[in-house]
Amino acid sequence: MPDIEIRNLTKVYNESGNSIVAVDDVDLTIEDGEFVTLVGPSGCGKTTTLRCVAGLNKPTSGTIKFGDRDVTQKPVQERNIALLFQDIALYPHMSVQENMAYGLKISGFSREERMARVEEAAELLQITDQLKKMPADLSGGQQQRVALGRSLVRDPEIFLFDEPMSDLDAKLKAELRPVIEKVTDEIGCPTLYVTHDQEEAMTMSDRVAVINDGELAQVAPPKEVYDEPASQFVSQFIGQPSTQFFEGNVGAVNGTAELDVGGYEYALARDGLEGWAGEDVRVGLRPQYIRVSDDPDAGIPATHLLDEPLGDATHSFFDTEFGEIVVVTDPDFEGNGGEYGLVFEDDYIQLYDNDSGVRIA
Amino acid sequence: MSQSEPPGGVFGLSYDRETRVIESLKVVSTAIIVLVGAWPIYWMTQLAFTEYETVEDTVTVFPTPDIFTLDNFNVLTEPEMYTYMFNTVVVAIGTIVTVVLVSLIAGYGLARLDFPQKENFARILLIGYLFSPIVIGIPLYQIWQNIGLLGTRFGLIIALSAISMPFAVWLMWKYIMTIPEAHEEAAWVDGASRWRGFRDVVVPQCRPAIIAAALFAFALAWNDFTFAQILLPQTDTTTFAPGILRAMGQAQFLPQAYLMAISLAMTLPPLLFAYFMQSYLLKGFQVRAL
Repeated sequence: MPDIEIRNLTKVYNESGNSIVAVDDVDLTIEDGEFVTLVGPSGCGKTTTLRCVAGLNKPTSGTIKFGDRDVTQKPVQERNIALLFQDIALYPHMSVQENMAYGLKISGFSREERMARVEEAAELLQITDQLKKMPADLSGGQQQRVALGRSLVRDPEIFLFDEPMSDLDAKLKAELRPVIEKVTDEIGCPTLYVTHDQEEAMTMSDRVAVINDGELAQVAPPKEVYDEPASQFVSQFIGQPSTQFFEGNVGAVNGTAELDVGGYEYALARDGLEGWAGEDVRVGLRPQYIRVSDDPDAGIPATHLLDEPLGDATHSFFDTEFGEIVVVTDPDFEGNGGEYGLVFEDDYIQLYDNDSGVRIA
Repeated sequence: MSQSEPPGGVFGLSYDRETRVIESLKVVSTAIIVLVGAWPIYWMTQLAFTEYETVEDTVTVFPTPDIFTLDNFNVLTEPEMYTYMFNTVVVAIGTIVTVVLVSLIAGYGLARLDFPQKENFARILLIGYLFSPIVIGIPLYQIWQNIGLLGTRFGLIIALSAISMPFAVWLMWKYIMTIPEAHEEAAWVDGASRWRGFRDVVVPQCRPAIIAAALFAFALAWNDFTFAQILLPQTDTTTFAPGILRAMGQAQFLPQAYLMAISLAMTLPPLLFAYFMQSYLLKGFQVRAL
């Protein structure tokens, strides 16, 4: 099994004289057996990237290699890939069994071989009793299982997913995620999974590639993307509720750096801030690392607005001099519109360059 | 508005009375439409089954047992009539096959491929729909004469296909656009060529549109008088509609009852075709923006 090597991939669309850069110089290597998720807001170029890898779109420039094989100019039929579509795209006029066997039929497998493989895949996906049904008679989750089966029986070189679960409800998603992981493990090929859902990205991936405006913002394991975001965008995009941002100024740097956020002082025990003394920076902090104190004089004074109890935690909204701030609080927390103080946990404060949004510390 | 929901305040009556008034108006208007549509067919049918002498002498409204007969249909066994029928069937089938094949491929091209002036091409296509057969018929006569298609069934099939084509292509185009492209892309990913994907994935899903286009072409070909009259000038190669007219002109005496028997034989196939295909037909015509 090969790896996927994407080099300098660029895709420019020309629409009535305007050229729109959908994908801008993307470099990405997906190792054999690795599960990489391409995640980003809608319109960021993630699906275009995937379609270029699939061969459904032709890149403007750049190369795509599967192992030693340069497939940049190869049509989709010759790439031996599997692709799961957002709208599932089962053939509605064929039974489940025929749907799953169609690729094998085209490759010229005998009827017995086709049926044997379909049954094997159906067993793995627990859809054996659905084989005779038509796709329209199945639920969305079952349909996506069939689509997985269709890919599984063909034993593809590369597995691609184009937001396959975006039309399913949260519970079904959680149910299908392990199935997808099981299938990709079974095939053991490189997998590129496109989604706008960061939960999917975090839970399934070996590495997460965050893409914004056609450019890769960060490629790293899920935990690292969450804990050590490379830019303001990544920090904001990954994590629920999203990172809170403030304007700040780095003061004297002397072993520890002094940070001033709207008059509140924080001491950061970080290296590499020497060059930033006196500079304005952007300060980010995840809502998990803001503490709510009953004493309004501790930290930033805040008026409680409302609570969103989720069961295992509560998201609480506060009105402060910096605007609205979200804090993840204890599941039993009830603010009741009172006055509180918000305390930042210094160790988790992130600093970003004001102009480029690149992480400083 | 669902049917069980009472229509609100058209006559300013209570819900129950309003519903009753609307329901009865619906029945009355339906009855009028059915009567207007069905009466000629009924009249033709009852005359076709009545003894021809009776039809000539008196007005009857129902073929009661004493005047009932099937003999009128013997006229269909005459060799001439047989030729007309055979020609009509051949031309109708030929037209259906041509129209369906060409419109499928043209509609697919319009729906899925990009080529310069695509929209204009489709618009010009519709202009072809504006000409009546008689306008095209005369020039076609000369062209067909020059290239040797005059008096051939093949020539008539081409002329009739051309007349049905604008609608059929338009229908297929819009219908194929309702089929998600992802279905085809899935087939390509599975290794199917564009042609194979078209055949295995697009065409089977086009069934309602195919049936609608076929029915339209069939009705046009089956009922065509003008083109057949112009392009099949010889009596022995013509189709039903001009054939009957010629039979009426040539025969010394063609009883009305015979004429009705012939007409009934000619009316039945499209009626049955439309009746049994109506669910598909409606689906085919349901395409938005048609």
